[in-house]
Amino acid sequence: MKRAKIFTALVLALLGLAGIAAAQRAKMIQIKGSDTLVNLVQILAETYMEKNPGAALAVLGGGSSTGIAGLTNGTCEIANHSREWKQKEIDLAWEKGVKPRFFVVAVDGVSIIVNEKNPLDELKMSDVGALYRGDIKNWKAVGGPSQAVSLYGRQSNSGTYVFMQEHVLGMKNYSTDMKEMNGNAQIIEGVIQDAGGIGYVGVGYLFDESGNVRKGIRVLKISNGGAAFSPLDKAAVDSGDYPVSRPLYQATKGKPSAAAAEFIQFEISDEGQKIVEREGFFPISAAHRAANEKNLR
Amino acid sequence: MRKVIGLLMLLMVSLMSLTAQTTTPPPQTFSATVYFDYRHFLASDGPVTLKPAAATSAYKNSAFLFRRAYFTYENKINDDLKFRFRLDADNTANVTGVTLTGDPITGVTTSTDGKLRPFMKHLFLEYANFLVPKMVLNVGMIETLTFKPAEDRWGYRSVAKTLVDGYRDVTKKDILATSADIGVTLKYSFTKFFRVAAGLYNGSHYSKEETDQFKEIELQAQITPVAGFSIVGYMDHERKLPVASLPDETGPAQSIYKIDAFFERIKDLVLGVEWFSFKNDLYQTAGEKYDVGGWSAFGRYTIEPDKLALFARYDDYTPNSLDRGLDMGLAIAGIDWAPYNKSWRLQPNIWFYSYKDGTRYNASATRDSDVMFNLTFFLSF
Repeated sequence: MKRAKIFTALVLALLGLAGIAAAQRAKMIQIKGSDTLVNLVQILAETYMEKNPGAALAVLGGGSSTGIAGLTNGTCEIANHSREWKQKEIDLAWEKGVKPRFFVVAVDGVSIIVNEKNPLDELKMSDVGALYRGDIKNWKAVGGPSQAVSLYGRQSNSGTYVFMQEHVLGMKNYSTDMKEMNGNAQIIEGVIQDAGGIGYVGVGYLFDESGNVRKGIRVLKISNGGAAFSPLDKAAVDSGDYPVSRPLYQATKGKPSAAAAEFIQFEISDEGQKIVEREGFFPISAAHRAANEKNLR
Repeated sequence: MRKVIGLLMLLMVSLMSLTAQTTTPPPQTFSATVYFDYRHFLASDGPVTLKPAAATSAYKNSAFLFRRAYFTYENKINDDLKFRFRLDADNTANVTGVTLTGDPITGVTTSTDGKLRPFMKHLFLEYANFLVPKMVLNVGMIETLTFKPAEDRWGYRSVAKTLVDGYRDVTKKDILATSADIGVTLKYSFTKFFRVAAGLYNGSHYSKEETDQFKEIELQAQITPVAGFSIVGYMDHERKLPVASLPDETGPAQSIYKIDAFFERIKDLVLGVEWFSFKNDLYQTAGEKYDVGGWSAFGRYTIEPDKLALFARYDDYTPNSLDRGLDMGLAIAGIDWAPYNKSWRLQPNIWFYSYKDGTRYNASATRDSDVMFNLTFFLSF
């Protein structure tokens, strides 16, 4: 009899907790992932919540890998990622029954920056790769001053780290001398303080509060065999002439829920894309928009 | 003394200069996971199988029970190389263990002093994209392939080991399986539909040195024909030294055959089944070999990620295929609740034991069932 009472009490407690949690959960959309996207999506979410008082979104960083893992293991509803999924992530998602749908919400030019005292104005993609692999250790080798190169980059859970490795380093390892920083802002601070510094950051992080490129850094033009283009040149990024540009993604676990779909719809709307531009990123193309609309259905 | 101080200062200066050179250390992590229970035997003073026949008074109706502590250091050397060092501590680790008797397998020890002692669990190097992309090599004191698929899906090692892992704890019948051993594993993913793994180990497990010339091999294949549904086949094999009590067995061997199936197609729900059979030439009753086996079905449902989940499981044990009176079942159900932060969880759970014949496990047993309540405290940081 005593045992039956205890068991009944436990079952009731369990049901009560489940009910409370289910009610809580219905309100909150968890978004997790790319540090490149975190500020932008936070601002988009705040604007969206202001316009939709019933909506609740929580936006966390942690890097693209964290967001992708979160979507796969169910700890977030939307994953922010600044790179494409790796094969092992696709395999794991398949195993876990996750068939992701992807949405491009902004376009980023990964900017290569140096200290403002460095007179260089442009670099070849191949030289950027050689610098980050550690093959070139002095600026003199690429037309700069005779000064040791000091590398600043992201930690390996960052999508930008992986993007650079795949597109600029030729899938080779980074130099072990590279200082692995926690975020874009820390890379910029490092380069400002270091005359021999070079860093890579999302274009949205280049500007100060008044919309000007931050003091203390120089944004390099990059060439890939032909003319060099700046990541600050919107037309060059849109056309793909600037070689280190990339789409910034969100992923959902299959077809997004109605609440998540509404938020994504807002992000890719004209109003959302104005915020994207205001924050220093580039708006999505018509092709991206069409693909997004298809994935929302 | 001066020399010592001088050396210490030199060491400090060296360390400081090293720190100055590498402002950001390589990606290294230290982490710890601890779990312990408040255990209460709802029926009496403890399940039949936990209670030594001759010392029932040693068990109290309830107690705090330390279960496990892991301390892990990982160093991601580069994108392909990773190193892990893990210390483990539990209340069965001991230095003065006694050998179980009445069993042809010797060398099995059990706790005597109850003190909590750390021991080395993992010490290995992982090499991703070894030789070809998507091939992973592990070398050292490594995780074996035996438990991991079910353990990952069950997800509540803090509450209970999976069927094969916990078999000896529950039934007292040793199936000579382990979670870690010295050796090498090679894993390869052909496609998202199919992956394989193979391992070669001492076979003497993480707590012992190699005791014979034989090595254990493990083979595993996983197919995932549709998203969220996987079938994993596993087998291991090792020859053993003959024992004097069974002179006819001149080249004895042992093997585990195991099949797991996992269903993860429904949002927030994970379902799994596991079946295994252990064959050991040295396991005989009156000259006839018997198998040890069992099956398990489990599920967990996440109500709110990192906050609240429910889990349940049923295990069926057949410790001797020639003596079904030893058969038993174990049902476990509970809640995983993180009231404040996912690093600190409360996992209240109930265990229902059912014995075909309780007296086969404890001569003084007066019933064929038991109920045990645990409030498991789970901490990770």
